[in-house]
Amino acid sequence: MVSYIKSNKMKTKCIHKDLIFYLDNELSFDKRTAVEKHLEECADCRSFLAFLQEGMQIIEKEKNTEISPFFYTRLSARLNENPEHQAQSQWARLSQPAFFLLLLFIGIYSGLKLGRNASTTKENNQATSVQMLNDFAAEPIESFLLDEL
Amino acid sequence: MDEAQLIKGIQQGDRKSFQILVETYQRMVVNTCLGIVHNKADAEDLAQDVFLEIFRTAENFRGDSKISTWLYRIATNRSLNFVRNNKRKRFFQSIEDTFTGGRNRNSEISENRGDQPDRNITDQQRSDLLHRAIDRLPEKQRAAFTLNKYEELSYQQIAEIMEISLASVESLIHRAKKNLQEQLLDCYKKKCV
Repeated sequence: MVSYIKSNKMKTKCIHKDLIFYLDNELSFDKRTAVEKHLEECADCRSFLAFLQEGMQIIEKEKNTEISPFFYTRLSARLNENPEHQAQSQWARLSQPAFFLLLLFIGIYSGLKLGRNASTTKENNQATSVQMLNDFAAEPIESFLLDEL
Repeated sequence: MDEAQLIKGIQQGDRKSFQILVETYQRMVVNTCLGIVHNKADAEDLAQDVFLEIFRTAENFRGDSKISTWLYRIATNRSLNFVRNNKRKRFFQSIEDTFTGGRNRNSEISENRGDQPDRNITDQQRSDLLHRAIDRLPEKQRAAFTLNKYEELSYQQIAEIMEISLASVESLIHRAKKNLQEQLLDCYKKKCV
């Protein structure tokens, strides 16, 4: 069987790309005849055609799906829902992201505020260290060491 | 009762007219949604949303097109939005799974499989394969293909629903079929079913 397929492939090129259109009857008469002739000879293309057919049959099965007998009853119940309740739920849906957005802005604002305070503290520290350096200038290290003695 | 009377009734809030509309078109709307979302329960929920939208916005219907065109348009848009939102949810779910070890996702899959105990594995695999292939199509190709295959609509009707030219519909469906064939061929070669 495998050798048959292999020998067929050597003789004729597979026409997989035309088969979906062949299934849907969308090929010209000449092309359709050529495809049919090829299918008689090529087992691989026949097998792929069967695979495609099985796949497309799924759509046919799905088309005949039964609809729930309570479809209108459920729809009618949804229609009777209080419009005020719907408006409320819509408001609740909007309020949640609004709350988080507000929280985010508060976070950013307080972050900026804290950052500004921190930089002011740093500047103060620098000023202190400069003062200390000035202390050294006022009292040279030599005299400091001599005092120790 | 003709379409104009039906719409007039719904515009006036007449429940009887609405019931007639629902009973006439429910199968058509559910089928359209099912072709895109591939889950019966989700398709029915979406179909209900479509009819609710029709009831609440009936006064906007000018009567330029048929009711069915209007219904198809809303059903297609809502279903595509649903799939888009689901993809987003699945993305966040996959992030969550990396932290929780994927327990939630696995339980969800087993619940879905439990819906159809009598279907054999090969049928289920084949169906999953086709759905995956359809899901990978670009949105417009998916919508055009679904309307053509599930609802057997003509290219002209699809052009009216999608508000595009006839040539565009032809091109979309041709490309959709080509893409599907490539994906199915790939799977056929790898023997996934």
